[in-house]
Amino acid sequence: MLKSAPSATEAGKRYVIRTMAFMSGYVAINVAAIFGAFDDIASPVAAWGLALTVSAPVIGQIWATLALMRESDEFVRAVIAKQFILSAGLAMAIASVWGFGESYADAPHIPAWMIYPLFWACFGLVSPFVRNSR
Amino acid sequence: MKNRLKLLRVERGWTQEQLGQALGVSRQAVNALETEKHDPSLDLAYRIAVLFARPVEEIFENPHG
Repeated sequence: MLKSAPSATEAGKRYVIRTMAFMSGYVAINVAAIFGAFDDIASPVAAWGLALTVSAPVIGQIWATLALMRESDEFVRAVIAKQFILSAGLAMAIASVWGFGESYADAPHIPAWMIYPLFWACFGLVSPFVRNSR
Repeated sequence: MKNRLKLLRVERGWTQEQLGQALGVSRQAVNALETEKHDPSLDLAYRIAVLFARPVEEIFENPHG
């Protein structure tokens, strides 16, 4: 044996745990906001603080994905990178079309934070079709 | 990239999981190499060559000549 294998299963488990941790924070803050927990915030500084707080798990999730790539072998790393690039490209294209639709075609406004769930929806859509590293 | 990896692995009675452990990669990576869905890095190609005690060219077909 040349070297010990990085366990794809262990890296995957760590990724799931990290994702659950970040997403539970994201969901908890949003649910609290929906139920009016932050309705009394009047200060712009506090309001921006809330916006930054609820967005922090998004950055954490990107870190978790980069950590998964770092802990995986070269094939898994390449496949994840392809999936990420395709998903980000698709999400940006959809967001751009909709944004220009709002500007030029009176499309109803959609909040910018929708780009994040849209990205993961795109990730789920493209991932089954990315099966090689080329 | 065409290769003889599966043949060499089967000759030794190894599973993809066992070969992956020997090389330090996942079973998925071994499967991708055998089915030509992944071209190995130079580092991985040399690790495979060392494991099977053969030159790289005997395991991977040179696509350029």
